[in-house]
Amino acid sequence: MKSFLSGLAAFLLCGVGLTACTTPSAGPPAVRIRWAQDPQTLEPLTATSSQAVEVINLRHCSLLAGDYEHGRFAPWLAESLPVISRRNSFTLLTYTLRREATWDNGQPVLARDVAFTLKVMNCPRLPTEYSRTQYGVILDIELDAANPRRFTLVCKGSSQNVIIASGDYLILSEHSLDPEAALRAVPLPLLRADTAAALRRYPSLLNLANRYRSIPPEKQPGCGPYQLTAWAKNQYLRLQRKPNWWGSKLNKPPRWLQAQAEVLDYRIIPDNATALLALRRGDIDLYPEPPAQDFNRLRHSADSTKLLFSVANSYDVTMVGFNTQRPALKDPLTRRALSMLFDIPGLISATQPGLAYRSVGLINPHDKPAYNDSLPLLVFAPQRALALLSQAGWQQHPDKTWWRNKIQLVLNIIYKAGAADHEAIATQLRTTARQLGVLIKLRPQESTLLRRQMQSGNMDMYVHTLNGTPYAYNFFSIMHSRGIGMINYPRFQNAESDHLIEAITAEPNPLRQASLLRRFQVLLQQESPVAVLYFARHRLIASRRLGTVQAISARPGYDATQLQLASARQ
Amino acid sequence: MVRQVLRRLFQLLLTAWGIITLLFLLTRTLPDDQQLLSRFTDTTTGTTASGEQVRQAQQARLQRLGLAEPVFYASRATVPIDDEQLLISRWHWNGTHNQYHHWLRDVVHGNLGRSYRTGEPVAGLLGSALLITLPLSGLAALFIVVFSLLLGLLLASRPHTGWVAMGLYTLDSMPLFVVALLLLLLLANPDFLTLFPTYGLGLDNEAATSLPLILTAPAYAVLPVASLVLTGLAEPTLQLAAALRHELQFFYILTARAKGLSSGRVLRRHAFRNALLPILTLYTELLPNLLAGSVVVELIFALPGLGRLLADAAAARDYPVLVGGVAMVVLTRQFSLLLADWLYQLADPRIRTTG
Repeated sequence: MKSFLSGLAAFLLCGVGLTACTTPSAGPPAVRIRWAQDPQTLEPLTATSSQAVEVINLRHCSLLAGDYEHGRFAPWLAESLPVISRRNSFTLLTYTLRREATWDNGQPVLARDVAFTLKVMNCPRLPTEYSRTQYGVILDIELDAANPRRFTLVCKGSSQNVIIASGDYLILSEHSLDPEAALRAVPLPLLRADTAAALRRYPSLLNLANRYRSIPPEKQPGCGPYQLTAWAKNQYLRLQRKPNWWGSKLNKPPRWLQAQAEVLDYRIIPDNATALLALRRGDIDLYPEPPAQDFNRLRHSADSTKLLFSVANSYDVTMVGFNTQRPALKDPLTRRALSMLFDIPGLISATQPGLAYRSVGLINPHDKPAYNDSLPLLVFAPQRALALLSQAGWQQHPDKTWWRNKIQLVLNIIYKAGAADHEAIATQLRTTARQLGVLIKLRPQESTLLRRQMQSGNMDMYVHTLNGTPYAYNFFSIMHSRGIGMINYPRFQNAESDHLIEAITAEPNPLRQASLLRRFQVLLQQESPVAVLYFARHRLIASRRLGTVQAISARPGYDATQLQLASARQ
Repeated sequence: MVRQVLRRLFQLLLTAWGIITLLFLLTRTLPDDQQLLSRFTDTTTGTTASGEQVRQAQQARLQRLGLAEPVFYASRATVPIDDEQLLISRWHWNGTHNQYHHWLRDVVHGNLGRSYRTGEPVAGLLGSALLITLPLSGLAALFIVVFSLLLGLLLASRPHTGWVAMGLYTLDSMPLFVVALLLLLLLANPDFLTLFPTYGLGLDNEAATSLPLILTAPAYAVLPVASLVLTGLAEPTLQLAAALRHELQFFYILTARAKGLSSGRVLRRHAFRNALLPILTLYTELLPNLLAGSVVVELIFALPGLGRLLADAAAARDYPVLVGGVAMVVLTRQFSLLLADWLYQLADPRIRTTG
C-alpha cells in the first residue's frame, strides 16, 4: 500500500512538474480564440452553427461580402457589384470575378465554378433542402463565351434582397469536386424544376453526389485566405494563412480580403469560468461575448492592466412579444398596458450594466436615417398601465383581479431556461403585475421546445433575443402575416403593416426606405405586438498579446481577418 | 454453469434491447423540425422563404434521412370510409418498411447509423469519445476502490477518526460541478495556485512543447480525475466502514482475537471478506455511474468525451448519436450487474443462483 501511495504522490508531482513544462515559453505565432462549442461540421450545404460559418467564410469566398462598417454588401470574389438589367419579367445580374482570385492550387476562379456551385446547390441526393429554397430566386446562369470570369444570373424578383441572395453563397471548385465536368451538361433550370427527370436524363448526377459526399468538407479546396491544418473535434481547430493568398496581391485590398493573422487557433472551452481562467492565465488570446457580469468585474479588477476590453453596438435586440391571437391580448391597449410594466433601466443595470442601450422599436438607434427618434421610449408606469387596462375594457374585481367578458387577465410567459437575463425580465414583470392584480405565470423552456411553442403560438407572452445584421432590413419573417407559423411569433397580422413591410423590402432608394421604416416604427408602437427592451453591445476581452482589438457590430462580435499579434505588427 | 451464464447473458441482452427500443421509439416520435427551420429563420438577409417552401424543405430532409417512413411495424392511421365520407382511426400494418426495422437490421450488422449533424458514423464518434472517457473514468474508479478500501479499514479500526467521516460526508453533500469548479479555482487559478492546466488535454499546445503526450497528459488528467474521485469516494468508504464495524461484533472475530491474531490481521483476514459483500454492487456500478457523471467534468475541463458528446447530441436532437450512446451506457450497466453477481459468488461461495 505504501508503494501505491508513493506512486500516487509521484504521479501528482509529475503532473505539477509537467504543467510548468507544457506552458509555452515564447508563445506560438497563433491567435488563440475561445469558442464555446465545436463547429461539428464544415459542410457548406448543412453547416448551421456560427462557428462553422466563421470557418467556412475564412476558407471560402462568396461573390459578395458583408461590409459591417457601412452596413451594406460589397464585392468580395466579384470585381464589383452586379450590373442590373431586365429581360421580360426577370432581373439579370451580371458579375465579373476578380482576375487575381485563385484556388488553393493556384488555378483561377472562373464563372464555371459559380455555375457548378449553383448546380450542386440543387443536385439530387445531396443535403440541399436549405440552398434550393433560400437561393431559389436564381433561375439560371449564362456564361460569357468571351470572358471566362463573366456570367449573368437570371433571377426572379428585383428587390435588394434578390441581389444579396445572388451573391451570398460560397463558391465551390469544379475542377476538384467534378473533375470530369459531369455537371456542365446538366441545365440548371432542369435541376431546379424536376430532379427526377434530371436524374433520368443524366445518371452521372448520382456519381457526382457520391463523389461530393466522399470528400470530407474540411478537405474541399477553397479560395479564401486560410487553410484548415488541424481539427480535433471538441478540442481545437487551426487555420493557417495561405502562403500566396491572392488577396494580398491586390492594391489596397478591402478589409474582407485581408488576412492579418498567420495562424488562427480556435480553442473549444464550453464552460465560461474555465474560459475566463484560461484567458487570465494566457492560454487564450481572445474571449468573445463573455457574460456581462464577468466582463464588468474583470474590467474593474487588477487584471484590467493585463487585458484589453472592447465593446460595439450590436443588432441583437431583446424583446417581450405578445401573442396577438389570444383573446386577452387581441387589443393593442392591453398590450401597451403590459409594456408599461417593464422597468427597462432597472433591467439593464441588473443584467447588462453599461452593455445595452434602449430603442423605441426594432430599428437600431445608431441607424440615424431610419431610426424614428420622435417616438417616446417605453416608460415604467404601472399606474398608467392600470388606466389603459380600464380603457381596454378590463374591470378590476374587489379581490384585485382583472376581468373582461368573463375572462380573467392571467397570462403565461415563456423564456429560455438558464438564460439569466430572460429570467430577470420575466420575474420583474411578474412582480410588478402581481401588485396590480395581473397574474403572470413563468414557464422556462428548453431552447428547441421554446422555439416550437413560439412557432405554434402556444403561449401568451415570450422573451426573445433577435439577432439582426447591419446589412439589410427584412421584416417579412418576423412581422409579416406570411411569417405566422414561422418566426412571426406574436402572430401579428395587420394589412397596413404587411403593405409597409413589402414596400420596405422592395424600395431600392435608401432615403425613401428610411422614411418607410420610420412609418413602420410608428405603427409598431401603436399596435405593440412586441415590447422592445434593449439592444445589447458585443463585448470582447483580449490578452495584450494582440496589441489592439476592436469589437464589431456584426456577429460573432469580432473580425477574425483583422486579428493580429502585437509582435507581428512591429 | 455455462448454461446459467448464457441464461443470464440472454436476460441481460433482452433488458438492454427493451430499453434501447423504448428510447428509439420515444426519440423518433419527437418531431425534429426545428434544425432546418432555425436555419431559414436565422437568415435575416437575402430572400425570405414562405411557410409552404419551408414545409417542403422539411419534408425533403425527412426523406433524405429516412424519417418519412413509419416509425414501427404497426401504426395508428386515420382512413376514410368511402360510403359515408367519414374518417376512422385504425391500426395499420406497415410491414418491414419502417424506421425501427431498418435501424435494428443495421445494428445487427454493426452499423449504428450516422450523425444527423455531421454525417459521420455513430460508432466512430462513440469510439473516439470513449478514448477520452474510459481512461478518465477507469482511473477514477481505480482510485475510488483503492482509497475507499484504505479509508474504510482506517475508519473501522481507529476510534478517533470522526473528522475523516465528517470530511467524507461534506464531500458527499457537494455536487460534482461545485467540487470541479472549486478544484479549478484553487489549483489552476492565477490568484491562488497554478499547479495544473485549466482545460483540455494539451493537444492544442503541441506546437509549443516538445514533450510527448504520454508525459503531458497526466497533468491534464489530475483535476478531472480528482473531481470524480472526491465526489465518489464517500459512499463506498462509509458503507465499508459500517459493514466492518458490524462484522467486528460477531463471535468469529472474538475467536480470532482469542487465537492471538493482531487487530489489523483480524480486520483484514476475517472481517474484511464478509464486509465486502454489501459494497460489491457499489464497486461494480462505479464505471457506469462515472460514465454518466462524466458530462459535468468534461464540460468544465473541456474534455471531448462521451458525456459531452451525449449532452450535445441531446441538445441538437441528434438521435442516432443519442441512442447509440445511451445503448452503450445501458450495456455497461447491465454488464456491471453481471459482474456483481459473479463477484458475490467469488466472495462468498455459499451464494449460488438457483436455476
